[in-house]
Amino acid sequence: MRLWHIVRTRTASLLFRRRREAELREELQQHIDRETERLRAAGIAPEAARQHAVHTFGGVEQIKEACRDARGTGAIDAVSRDTRFAARRLARDWRFTVAAVLTLGLGIGANTAIFSLVNAALFRPPISADPDRLVDLYQNGSNAGGIDGNSYPGYLDMAASTDVFAGVTAALVPLGVSYLDDGALRSALAEHAAANYLSVLGLEPALGRWFSAAEDTPGAAVVAVLGHEAWTTKFHADPLVIGRTIRVQGVPVTIVGVGPAGHRATVDIGLVTDFWLPIQSLPAFGAPPRALTRRPDEAGFTVKARLRDGVTVAQAQAAMRILGTRLAAEYPNEDAGKGISVFASRDVRIHPQMDGMVRVIAAILLVVVGLVLAIACTNLATLLLVRGTARAREVSVRLALGATRSQLVRFLLTESLLLAATGSVAGCLLAWWATRWLAAVDLPIVVDLSLDYRVLGFAAVISVVTGVAFGLAPALAATRVDLAPTLRGAETRSSESRWLTLKNALVVFQVAVSVALLGGTSLFLQLLSASRAVRAGFAIDGVAMLETDTRYAGYSDSDAGQALEEIRRRIAASPGVQHAVLTRGLPLQREGFPVVVEGTTAPAGVTASARRASATWIGPGYFDALRIPILHGRALDGRDRAATPRVAVVSESMARDCFGTADPRQAVGRRFRLERETGADAWIEVVGVARDIRADLIDPQPQVFYRSFAQWGAMPTALVARTSLDGAGLVRIMQRELRAVNAGLPVVSAGTMAQSLEASLAAPKAVATFLAGLGAVGQCLAGVGLYAVIAFAVARRAREIGIRMALGAQRGQAVWAVARDVAVLVGVGTGAGLALTLLAILALRSVVVATPGIYVYRPTADPLALLTIAAFMAMVGLAAAYLPARRAAMVDPLVALRRD
Amino acid sequence: MSDQTDLIQGTLDLLILRTIALEPMHGWAIAQRIQQISDELLRVQQGSLYPALHRLEHQGWITAEWGVSETNRRARFYSLTKAGRKQVATELSKWERLSAGVNLVLART
Repeated sequence: MRLWHIVRTRTASLLFRRRREAELREELQQHIDRETERLRAAGIAPEAARQHAVHTFGGVEQIKEACRDARGTGAIDAVSRDTRFAARRLARDWRFTVAAVLTLGLGIGANTAIFSLVNAALFRPPISADPDRLVDLYQNGSNAGGIDGNSYPGYLDMAASTDVFAGVTAALVPLGVSYLDDGALRSALAEHAAANYLSVLGLEPALGRWFSAAEDTPGAAVVAVLGHEAWTTKFHADPLVIGRTIRVQGVPVTIVGVGPAGHRATVDIGLVTDFWLPIQSLPAFGAPPRALTRRPDEAGFTVKARLRDGVTVAQAQAAMRILGTRLAAEYPNEDAGKGISVFASRDVRIHPQMDGMVRVIAAILLVVVGLVLAIACTNLATLLLVRGTARAREVSVRLALGATRSQLVRFLLTESLLLAATGSVAGCLLAWWATRWLAAVDLPIVVDLSLDYRVLGFAAVISVVTGVAFGLAPALAATRVDLAPTLRGAETRSSESRWLTLKNALVVFQVAVSVALLGGTSLFLQLLSASRAVRAGFAIDGVAMLETDTRYAGYSDSDAGQALEEIRRRIAASPGVQHAVLTRGLPLQREGFPVVVEGTTAPAGVTASARRASATWIGPGYFDALRIPILHGRALDGRDRAATPRVAVVSESMARDCFGTADPRQAVGRRFRLERETGADAWIEVVGVARDIRADLIDPQPQVFYRSFAQWGAMPTALVARTSLDGAGLVRIMQRELRAVNAGLPVVSAGTMAQSLEASLAAPKAVATFLAGLGAVGQCLAGVGLYAVIAFAVARRAREIGIRMALGAQRGQAVWAVARDVAVLVGVGTGAGLALTLLAILALRSVVVATPGIYVYRPTADPLALLTIAAFMAMVGLAAAYLPARRAAMVDPLVALRRD
Repeated sequence: MSDQTDLIQGTLDLLILRTIALEPMHGWAIAQRIQQISDELLRVQQGSLYPALHRLEHQGWITAEWGVSETNRRARFYSLTKAGRKQVATELSKWERLSAGVNLVLART
């Protein structure tokens, strides 16, 4: 009862503050009135009675204050009063506020965005029940005991070790797949996993079931479990999806369940697995039989095991050591020298050998961004210190009028916290926008980049710590003002002439870092333009490409070939089209193979890259369509059929490097074969040498051999055509003809050669944009820092400037006196930044070692770009210094002298 | 005024509670009543009366309501809550022990 009463009165006091104040006033007034009446009744004159009543009553305001305190709402009143007052002050000093909020927002925003990235890759542990009992198993690589992945038979051997493990399961590294949904072909990630996958992890499917052991057998109808995120985002969380059959890679697949919520992938690095498929369904998706054999290059399985009760990691390791020795003896060709390593799952993030590097990269990212935040906070401290100095008089007046130090500190602290809160809200908005932007960047993979509670918590902690850190120091300094000299206006000026202050060093550092970041951006822009410039040796204008997947339309292989040939004929007959040819894969997509050249010894001692070549499968007319000249010999044509000897056209570089001939002409007539194909008919004769085509900087001298479909039996998957008209129009024609022949054929990709080349530059473009963004943030921060430092100097030197101008100094001289400081700081910072950029360029150039077949771009210093950056920085610096410098020059000498 | 005694810390609360235990009263009347009953010996300062009233209300011992005073004016009337009545008893016994203690000390010295 009493509690209810208390709650009611206290809530009322808080909620109806205005009414409460009116009541208090009325109550006290009523008391005075009643007292006056009493005195009048006693015969005192009305005026005297009133005066006496008021006099004996005492200070009305003090009593009111005491009543408010008694109600216990005093503290809350004070806080809300402080907050409202601080908000008004901040709104009035809007320039300062904008600078401060911008600084904090950028600092916190950049931090949160980067933290989201690092968080996605590092800090989100994969979910499983009782994770302490899970271990990861790795077969060691045969070379120097490095830790490798596992082959499928290797996994089965480990799974037989039931004495130490309660369960052993495996999943293949995620593969990129396509699937048909609503008539459109979409890309997704698929993991092939064992039937006991979920039970070993101790998880339950969110819906339906996991596939059974019977479904994980060769030849079984293919079933799939949807990843929970794929189910919610790509299938609208529709429970009726269970039992539906969709086509993945053209193969009909029945969905039997939805994976557990929060389980993204076996190796959780931010990639999200969309489909879980049985391991034994690999051949159904076209994987060669060797994918499931005991081969060192087919070791793509991650193996996880649950320890039997009472078994330690060390005991499991001992058992695996024995198994490793046994396997090495049983399979001397495949498993010789290999062992098996056991790691507690919680100690492994991605792979034992990669974790160290990933952590270092993450740490570097966090340190860089932490540095940005540290700069942002110091900037703010400087800004507040500047305000504190400018307000020293106000503070001393308040102290003189009786404000206590704690009241002042509380008020100044409120102001800082309010700023920090506004700044962190701005930062969160910025981070949200930045992660959305990062997620929208067209990467070939899906990265889970949501802002989760950890990220928000991180931002909140940063902002609160920042608020207290940068609020308290200037606040305390401001109240420690010595009253008398400040009121008199004699300020100390000891620090003014010192150049080597922390503040100046920080500004120089900021300028240097942002210049270096912009320098990095210019390097990447240089790389982009170089990438475009290097393309030569093939036609780009008017060339268009179309890729389809005949499996989705249910064609048999021979029917598919005829359908594609029909499409090719129709495209070739369209107006303006000069050539149309069939290819397998897009023209610049290549698949590298180790090759053996006839008449040379085993590859021992020869660098691997010299013995690798890429295959391109083409139809007749390919070289004409892409305008690739045949330098020697002949092109592939109708003469090359399945029954005739195997032939190939090789690139100039391959002729030179693989066949070791100074004159490419001599390569014609020689033979080579793929390393993995043995037998008499494996040899391929070189019938021609084509000029190199250069498409990218990574491999500008590609070793390519061209072979004809007719001699292989594999189906073409794509069409390339060249027109004398517009390339974009040709893309539309090709799509129209595709639909005309069979509306069920999906478009895997379609576009002009120029578009496809541009898309291949997405990664360097993204890096350039990221660096430019960080550079811009650095510029903004450096600008704010310069502004604060100059404003500080001006505030301190207003009196000196006033005296100078009173003595006849020109306005320009006064501005110069201020601007000189900026010029020196910007000059030193820019110089350091440019030096840093040049050092980076030199370091990159010295790192590049000539490797045959692999070309690494060597950056050069571009004087024009560096000059532009320096000029840009100077402009930002001068803009930041303009306001305070102008204010200094506008000072009326009389006012300046009188004020100080 | 020298014959009027300032109130000992804490006793004002007891006096207020005791005074309004009879009937709801407004601030001025409470001060008057205490003065009258104590034969003008105790004098309540407005500076302590109103904060005390608000504190007691805040603590839930008394409650306030607007009413019409004996001179037909709007006034804020204070009355005891149920918890307040118990509090009077507690405060009274506390006071009795205190005064008894003080008297004993004074009598023996």
